Amino acid sequence: MAYELHKISVLVVEDNQPMLDITKSLLLTFGIGHVVGAQNGEQGFDRFCEYNNDIIIADWMMKPMDGISFTRLVRNDAQSPNPYVPIILMTGFSERRRVIQARDAGVTEFLVKPFNAKDLYRRLVQVIERPRQFVRAPDFFGPDRRRKRVHTGRYEGPFRRDADMQNPEILKMMRQQQMAAHDTLDRIRKREGLNKGDKFDLSPQDDR
Amino acid sequence: MISDPKHYKQKQRRKAEYIKPPNLLKAKVGSGGLSDNILAKAQALLENNSVDFQPLAELYLNSLFGGIERTRKDLKNGETEFQIASMLYPAMQLKANGGMFHYPLVTTIADRLVQFLEVIELVDDNAIEIVLAFHTTLRAVIMGKIQGDGGTHGADLIAALDQACMRFFERYPDHKVGGQPDHSSSF
Repeated sequence: MAYELHKISVLVVEDNQPMLDITKSLLLTFGIGHVVGAQNGEQGFDRFCEYNNDIIIADWMMKPMDGISFTRLVRNDAQSPNPYVPIILMTGFSERRRVIQARDAGVTEFLVKPFNAKDLYRRLVQVIERPRQFVRAPDFFGPDRRRKRVHTGRYEGPFRRDADMQNPEILKMMRQQQMAAHDTLDRIRKREGLNKGDKFDLSPQDDR
Repeated sequence: MISDPKHYKQKQRRKAEYIKPPNLLKAKVGSGGLSDNILAKAQALLENNSVDFQPLAELYLNSLFGGIERTRKDLKNGETEFQIASMLYPAMQLKANGGMFHYPLVTTIADRLVQFLEVIELVDDNAIEIVLAFHTTLRAVIMGKIQGDGGTHGADLIAALDQACMRFFERYPDHKVGGQPDHSSSF
């Protein structure tokens, strides 16, 4: 079974004609039933009011109305046919503050250009499979800006679990501990005149 | 000792309403995703597009050059935020579109320029010289129709621009916060 994308309609708002054409072609190749194009935020809002599309993909930098103002209009204007519509913002910006700026305007997903077919597909899957609840506050209306944090940092728990063997820093530390233990054993054997395999008792002075 | 538990009883300061709209999109499209075959077809379409990037790139290059010229002319009186934006936006467009239309080297170089312009908070002659160096390099790549990553020549160009940026920040260690240039190091 596959997605029945022919049942949905997508609005693409992009002022760069070749980019608009290529994005529309990609969506049609995915099997989207109806793809509508617009060249700026103003035109995009008119089209959205006309077609009430299921998903919006908008560029950031456009004149006279950019993607951020367009998003605010879709979310807050009384004429908007669906303020909850998922909005994917396309842009060349990838800096954190830009992502935050877009998020605060009510954007659902962020797609950094240049992108490939899979990148675009992943964003579509995200809005289909993991829709975000909305928040209405005095100064904000849009998708919930909090995301569940996925732990990707270094593992800080107890050593010698399966995951430790993949971590080069932990492996290095373990090797150093083993070498120190070997040195201590050699020192004790030399002092006591013992061979490998001979049993011995540790005295407090050996614990150095 | 446990402090006064009054804080549990405080009135809510911000009122936020949480709304869970029905997932109509999922109801329409169902489950299962798309096949690898369709994704491969879409990727092939992207890779085989025959859009001529040059006219578009020239538009952005001219806009970038215009931004450089305007900033240079009005260096002391202009508003820094506006000056940076006039160079940043065309740089971002070059970054965004180069890779989409077979010029990944343009994307890589323009990305460095975007990062540079996103970090600086002051514009002076040296900053303009660096932006101009990026502009010249981008122009050479586009006019020379250097598609792909440019090989070793491309890597050399990127390294040279990186070094120019590094020298700039070495000389202006506090440039990000509007500090004074460090004249002890050479630019």
